[in-house]
Amino acid sequence: MSTRIQVEHLARVEGHGGITVELDDGAVAAVRFDIFEGARLLEGLVRGRSYEDISQILSRICSICSVAHSLTSLKATENALGVKVTPQTELLRDLLYRGESIQSHALHLFCLAVPDYLDYPSVTALAADHLDAVKLGLRMKKLGNSIQETLGGRAVHPVNAIVGGFGKLPSVDSLVALREALIQGVADCETTIKLLASLPAADFCHTDTVFAALSSPQNHGYYAGDEIIVSSNGQRQSVPAAAYRSLSNEKAVPGSHAKHSSFNGKPFMVGSLARLSTNTQGLTERARAAMGELGLRLPSDNPMDNNKAQGVELVHDVHSGLAMVDRLLRDGIKEEGCVAVCPKAGTGTGVTEAPRGLLVHSYTYDDEGRITAADVITPTAFNAASIENHFRSTIEQSASKDAPALRKKLEMVARAYDPCISCSVHLLQRHHAA
Amino acid sequence: MSKPTVGLFGLTGCAGDQLVILNCEDQLLDLVSALDIRDFLMASSANDVSCELDLALVEGAVLSKRDEEKLKRIRARSKALMAIGTCAVWGGVAALNPEADRAKLLEEIYGHQGAQYDSLPPRSLREVVKVDLNLTGCPIEKEQFLSAVSSLLNGDPPIFPEYAVCAECRMRENNCLLIEKSQVCCGPLTVAGCDARCPGLGIPCVGCRGPVDEANVSSVLAMFGEKGIPRERIAAKLRTFAPTSGDHS
Repeated sequence: MSTRIQVEHLARVEGHGGITVELDDGAVAAVRFDIFEGARLLEGLVRGRSYEDISQILSRICSICSVAHSLTSLKATENALGVKVTPQTELLRDLLYRGESIQSHALHLFCLAVPDYLDYPSVTALAADHLDAVKLGLRMKKLGNSIQETLGGRAVHPVNAIVGGFGKLPSVDSLVALREALIQGVADCETTIKLLASLPAADFCHTDTVFAALSSPQNHGYYAGDEIIVSSNGQRQSVPAAAYRSLSNEKAVPGSHAKHSSFNGKPFMVGSLARLSTNTQGLTERARAAMGELGLRLPSDNPMDNNKAQGVELVHDVHSGLAMVDRLLRDGIKEEGCVAVCPKAGTGTGVTEAPRGLLVHSYTYDDEGRITAADVITPTAFNAASIENHFRSTIEQSASKDAPALRKKLEMVARAYDPCISCSVHLLQRHHAA
Repeated sequence: MSKPTVGLFGLTGCAGDQLVILNCEDQLLDLVSALDIRDFLMASSANDVSCELDLALVEGAVLSKRDEEKLKRIRARSKALMAIGTCAVWGGVAALNPEADRAKLLEEIYGHQGAQYDSLPPRSLREVVKVDLNLTGCPIEKEQFLSAVSSLLNGDPPIFPEYAVCAECRMRENNCLLIEKSQVCCGPLTVAGCDARCPGLGIPCVGCRGPVDEANVSSVLAMFGEKGIPRERIAAKLRTFAPTSGDHS
């Protein structure tokens, strides 16, 4: 007998998606992570535009990770045009990126994921019984947004980061205000760890998982670096950023309409858990201790651990953000202008770690600095095959095939990936099953 | 008095306007207690998808049949509909090159499957249904959103600025990037409401809020000409977020 389990509209995620599973006598016949976003075709529409316009247009791929798109775009453009930014610009971009990660992880953990664990339909329903937890989450989110506003000029779609540097550098006063907020954030991290450690275990899907992330051996950052590490059962392989296509060799898979990213024929997971699994050094001391308090053991075979990994990164980002602001205040901000740009023909690739994982922008420019080709590969596009893989394991490992219970587990797996569906549409779109 | 029933919806876009609403951290708990939010898929999994709504807030542009049908269903159940964000009000970045051959681009980006995709040329909401209020911005400004909601709760029509970004820029006493630095700044033709954020950072306005009604387009274009800025460069920049921007010249 064949049955279908369907989540028509996946709630509490960014964008429009769903889940379809077909069972044949209890065995999984097909799994699909459905995507219903309209195609915006931005990579094609930007052709002919000046290098100055690209990061502003392509940041609009996604709001929650608009800093990631903006900075990855700048990295690709600067690589293509041979622009080398100053160490101060690198540091400010690194800090801006941490602001986005704090905002995004806090939004995901407190507003989208925690309600799952405590069985509430929304953060507002959660607020009725757990007001302090919701207020804590909103404070964390606001902290991330304050960093984005101070350095990026706006919380959503930053405007201040431009090719070669920044429009306006942050004032000492604004950094002092950020420092105050980060000190409150350090205290809030303690409550956050306690809250996350008290959540019931989500233990229903175990499978060997391949992870991929940008190598960041020094400080577990999101922005700097040009080497991607793929790790599987303790084996590590390095892929240079410019060879990113070897990770996105899309294949059609039976039972799915998607083209799947794989490495050596295996789907892989990107995001917080992948970053912690591949970059074992570089975490702040407090974040390292938080791993133990949250019971996160690596390598993990449970995709739900991505939520714990986000908690660990939240702690790391607040602590390392404070250290960066202290350094900026100690060394002082140098009033340096942007690095001058001479348009020339060239190709460049930028790879960074968006809150949800590996993000690639790769561009080609003509000799007048007009873009002739743009390729964007987003974390959720990389993750699509792995999400479906974990859907399959979840069903296979569930003793009961009761539809409502399975639906909830599948939704929790999807949400643990923190999917960003506006983003993912750039590689794949699947039709609503007729 | 009973609280107004409200729905928040996204069509195709980046979800940035819904995110700005979730970013009202200091007001969010008051906001959800003043409104009866019945349908908000991005934030809740317990939604009433058919009840009548006093107000629907809709972001994103119409880019597919699915979007079009969804928007018509929202309109049919809502007393008032407010478009939020530049995509909903003007079409936004997905409409940045209306002449582009979309069928060809679909095939180039998505391969041979592209032809099967549910894809329509981009349209703003008012090109598809009746829209009662337009709150523009890419994304919308938090303060304008909150003030619009509080006006509506008091039974007053919200007031949005009808002047150009230039006016706000002068109030901030910024140096003019167009006149003094010959930069391609869309401030004279773009509707205010952002407090001239970008020129305030020394960065030319990209026109992300869409056109201002009362602009003297031909004299502004002449000024760009005097600065030696090619007309096609200005036209392309102006039309990044609103395909009809600068059409009144």
